[in-house]
Amino acid sequence: MARRTRTILALLPLSLLSLACWATIFISHRSPGRYQVDLAWARPSVNHPLGCSDGGVDVATYTAFAVGYVAVLALVVALASSIFGTLLGTAATLLGNGTDRLLLRICDLVQAFPNFLLALAVLSAVQTPQRWHIALVLLLTTWAGFARLAIVLSRKLTTADFVVAARAYGCSSWSILVRHAVPHVMGPILVQIGTVGAGVVLSESALSFVGLGPADGISLGLLIEQGSVSMLHAPHVLAVAVVAVAATSGGFQLAAEGIRNWVQLEQGC
Amino acid sequence: MTSGAKSRSAIQRPIKDVASALLSAGAVLVVFATLVFLALRILPGDPTTMMLGDESTHAERAELAARLGFDQPLIIQYGRFIAGLGRLDLGASLSHPGRSAFSCVSLAIRSTALLACISVVLGTFGGVGAALLCVGPWLGKRAAVVHGGVLLVAAVPMLALAPFATWVLAVKSSLVPLPGDPDHPIAGLLFAATLLALPLGAQVARIGRVALLEQRHALFLHTALAKGASSWRVWSVHALPVAAAPILVVVASQLGSLLGGAVVLERFFEQPGLGTLMLEAYAARDFPVLEAAIVAAGLLFVLVQVTTTGLTALLDPRGQRT
Repeated sequence: MARRTRTILALLPLSLLSLACWATIFISHRSPGRYQVDLAWARPSVNHPLGCSDGGVDVATYTAFAVGYVAVLALVVALASSIFGTLLGTAATLLGNGTDRLLLRICDLVQAFPNFLLALAVLSAVQTPQRWHIALVLLLTTWAGFARLAIVLSRKLTTADFVVAARAYGCSSWSILVRHAVPHVMGPILVQIGTVGAGVVLSESALSFVGLGPADGISLGLLIEQGSVSMLHAPHVLAVAVVAVAATSGGFQLAAEGIRNWVQLEQGC
Repeated sequence: MTSGAKSRSAIQRPIKDVASALLSAGAVLVVFATLVFLALRILPGDPTTMMLGDESTHAERAELAARLGFDQPLIIQYGRFIAGLGRLDLGASLSHPGRSAFSCVSLAIRSTALLACISVVLGTFGGVGAALLCVGPWLGKRAAVVHGGVLLVAAVPMLALAPFATWVLAVKSSLVPLPGDPDHPIAGLLFAATLLALPLGAQVARIGRVALLEQRHALFLHTALAKGASSWRVWSVHALPVAAAPILVVVASQLGSLLGGAVVLERFFEQPGLGTLMLEAYAARDFPVLEAAIVAAGLLFVLVQVTTTGLTALLDPRGQRT
C-alpha cells in the first residue's frame, strides 16, 4: 500500500505541471507571442502573475506553452526511441550469432558520443530548425540506451522455455519477438522512458539556449536566455525559467522513479 | 620464465586495449566527419542559398558553389573533404577573410581545452574529496548530509543551476564577476569551470563512494589500521587507489556531456572557445569553419577517451575486455 502511494506521489508532479499548463493556457487566452511593448520586463502583477519578458510577452502563458511543447516532444522522442531501440535490441539478441555484440558495440559508440555536437552538426544543415527536426536529431542518440537495455534484459530469453516452446509451435520470428520477448523486458524499458524524457527536456532547452531552438521561438531555453540577459533588471524571468526547466525535467525523472516502483510492485519483489 | 611471460602480458594488454581504443576512435571520427559532410550536402536546402541569403543572384550562388567545390560530384567532394582533414586544411573561412578554417579552430580550441581541463581537475578532486568524506569516520552522522548534497547536485540540471548561481553570487552578493566582464577574465573562467565541474564532481562522488564502500571490509585496510595508520591514511593511501579505475571510467563517460556543457557555458559566460566559434560559424553559415570546429571537437573528445582507456587498463589490469 505504501508502495502504491509512493508511485502515485512520484507521478503527481508531472501531472500537476501539465494540469497547471492547460489551466494557464485556457484561463489567460493569450497567444504566447503577443507583444505589449509598454509592459516590457514588467514585474509580476494581478494581470500578469509571473510578470512580462522582452516586448511585454506574458511569462506565465509563454512558460505554459513552452512546458507543454517540450513535454510532448520529450514523450514523443522517448516513446519512439523506446519502440525502435527495444525491438532492435531484442531482435538482435534473438538472432544471436554475434549480432547482439555488434549492436552493443554500436550502442557504445553512439552513447559515448557528445550528442550536443551531433545535434549541432545535423541541425547546421537546416536553415530554421522545426520542432520535428530537433526530435529527429535527439532520436539519433536516444535509441541506443533502449537497445542496450533490451539486449542485456533479453539475453536470458533466447533459451527460455516459453521461447523454445513458441518456436516449436511454429510461431513466426516476428510474433516471438513482439508477443513473447518484448513484454518480458518492458519494466526497465518503461523506467528508461522517463529518464530519456528528462534528458530530452534538458537537451531541447540547451539547444534553444544556444540559438538552435525551434523556429516558432517558444522554448524554455529561450526563456533562460532572455532571463540571463535581463538578470540585472528583471530577475523574475530567470527565476520562472530556471524553476520551469528544473520542474519539467525533474517531473520526468520522478515519474521514472514512480514507474520503477510500480514495476517492482507488479513483479512482486 | 613464467614471471617474464606474466609481466610481458601485463604490459601487452594495456597496449592492446589502447590500440583497439585507437581503432574505434578513428572509426568514430571518420563516421562523424562523414556525417558532418553529408548533413551539409545531402539534407534538403541549398548551402549556397543559406550562406548568401534568399536575395542572392544565381551567378553569385554559382560562383560560391564553384569556390567551395559544391559543383563537383559528391564522391569527389567527399574525397577532397577527407584529404583536407588529413592535411588540416578545409579551406579559408568565409566570415573571417584571409584566415584558414583550421587557424580559427586552433585558436578557439585552446580556451575550450583549458576550461575543460580545469573543470575535469576540479570535478575529479572535489568528487573524490566528497566521496572520502562520505565513507570516512570524520563527519559521523553528518556524512549523510554530504551524500544528500551530492545527490542534489547530481539531480539539478546545469542549465538551471548556472544562471541561478550567477544571479546569487554575481548579482546579489558580487562575489564573482558578472558573465562576460572583461576586467576579470580569470575569475570568470574559474567560476565557469567550477559550474561545469559540479555535475562531473557529483557523479565522481556517487561512484567513488560506492567503490570505496566496497573496500570497507577488505583485510588490507584492517591490517593498515592495526599497524597504526590514521583513518585518513587508510582511506586515501590504501583504499582510494583500488577505487581509481571506476572513478576514471566515470570521468571518461561524463566527457561528452562536459563538452556539451562547455558549449552552453561559453555562450552564457561570453567566453571565447570552440562552442562560441561553432555557434558563430553556424549563425554566419561559415561551413568550412563549422566543419573544422565540429571535427576538432570530436577529435578532442576521442583523444581523451583513448587516454582514459589506456590509463584505466594500466591502473586495473583485472578489468580487461576481451
